[in-house]
Amino acid sequence: MTALSDNALLEQARLGDDASFDTLFYRHYDRVYGLLFRLAGSRAEAEDLTQEVFLKLHQHAFTHKRFSPQREHNLSAWLYRVATNMGYNAIRSRQRRWQRNTMLVPDPQGSPAAEVEAERRETETAVRQALAQLPKRQVQLLLMRQMGFSYAECAAVCGVAPGSVGTLLARAAKAFRKAYKEKT
Amino acid sequence: MKEERELQDVLVQLSSLAPGPADAPKPAGQALAVIKRQVKQEKRAGCQPWQRFWQNPNRRWATAVLSLLILFTVAFSFPAVRAAASDFLGLFRVQKFAAISVSSEQLALLERVAEEGVSPGELTIVNAPGALIPVNSLAAAARETGLEQVLSPAALGEPDEIDVVEGGDGRLIIDAAGARRIIELAGADPTLFPEKLDGKRVEVVIFSGVQQSWDDGTVLLQTTMPLVEYPGNLDPVPLGEAMLQMLGMNRNEAARLARTIDWTSTLLLPIPRNVATFNEITINGSSGLALASLDGQYGAVMWQQNDVLYLLTGSGDTVELQRIANSVR
Repeated sequence: MTALSDNALLEQARLGDDASFDTLFYRHYDRVYGLLFRLAGSRAEAEDLTQEVFLKLHQHAFTHKRFSPQREHNLSAWLYRVATNMGYNAIRSRQRRWQRNTMLVPDPQGSPAAEVEAERRETETAVRQALAQLPKRQVQLLLMRQMGFSYAECAAVCGVAPGSVGTLLARAAKAFRKAYKEKT
Repeated sequence: MKEERELQDVLVQLSSLAPGPADAPKPAGQALAVIKRQVKQEKRAGCQPWQRFWQNPNRRWATAVLSLLILFTVAFSFPAVRAAASDFLGLFRVQKFAAISVSSEQLALLERVAEEGVSPGELTIVNAPGALIPVNSLAAAARETGLEQVLSPAALGEPDEIDVVEGGDGRLIIDAAGARRIIELAGADPTLFPEKLDGKRVEVVIFSGVQQSWDDGTVLLQTTMPLVEYPGNLDPVPLGEAMLQMLGMNRNEAARLARTIDWTSTLLLPIPRNVATFNEITINGSSGLALASLDGQYGAVMWQQNDVLYLLTGSGDTVELQRIANSVR
């Protein structure tokens, strides 16, 4: 059996078939959440943002009727673009809190396991802080590539030519290494 | 080769951000049920586009800022006391902004005064503003609104949504006794409101504007400055003084400040102290204001250029918003 394309599901959903919207949701839920978790770093926040992304999809498709039936739409590109936009804003707005709270992080005390956990969290925070220093497109590219998106998928989400993704990724990696070095 | 290796190293580093078993989201079925419930609630409530606008936190902030702006220029959809305050200031085409910090206690007092139900006059809304109409292009938006050109920030690229925000108009026939009562209840000097304004008419026109939205929550609104026609021979200084008093300023300070403000061209924005901070800025050579919510979540910048008011809101900090605003062409 061949799975229906996103566009076909979108069209059926637009005609009132709720099950098609459900299929779209199940198809993309894990990856959208995964992307947002990487940015937000907390389950609750990533869940909230994921919900917002799909609500936006619902409004976009049904209320505002932005997806025209006459046109081919790259729904996954749209979804991951919206998701990275939201997640990126989350880490940017948290940047100042990080700055304020640097001195409030308690020294790890007690068991070695607690020390390892504290160290892990510190590393994750430094990685996110470094990401927050980069332009949005570089963050999009790096995270999507890390999640296993193809160059073509990355290109569609970021709105760049597939042939330029390699160069842009290399630049993004360089910028990340520099930002990370400054943070640690 | 080296670049490829560096990229791989970075990707390995980023893999530390992937959710672990303990970070797994709620089951997809549950998450979908939550979304469907929310969609259903919206449908049941018969949500209009402008209501959804309120439900999005970014846009709520945008609307809050816009409301502050409109609060003292037009009387539409606000309780009586706020309507009264608006008459004192909406007498002109705005050329510059000034902000005043208002305490939460004073705002609470104004809320209570609003609940008194005293009217500053007979208000007639001829056409209610605010309806959002999606359009396909900036050119179409310009045609719909009559704006000579609709500008867009180069820093953000193409907007994801473009809407025309419908304008409106209305009038107020002033009841001086009601207006004085409102001023008094708000703790200000009622004699500052001239008796001769009784029965006079104030006309307000809000022009249609264009709202561009991006998926990251950034919104740019641009509209021709609201036009307010008021009775001739009106000295705006005492009215401004009354308004400053109503916003919590002591009488001496209000009198002094009222004389220094050019009320015919300055729009005074009351900023709740417990909500946002503000500072003066320059955008593309024009004066403006930057507002930042105290929780650091939202920001807004507003400025005017060639008789057009621009309001840019988003979840970035105000420095980033200024950068975006400066790229508006």
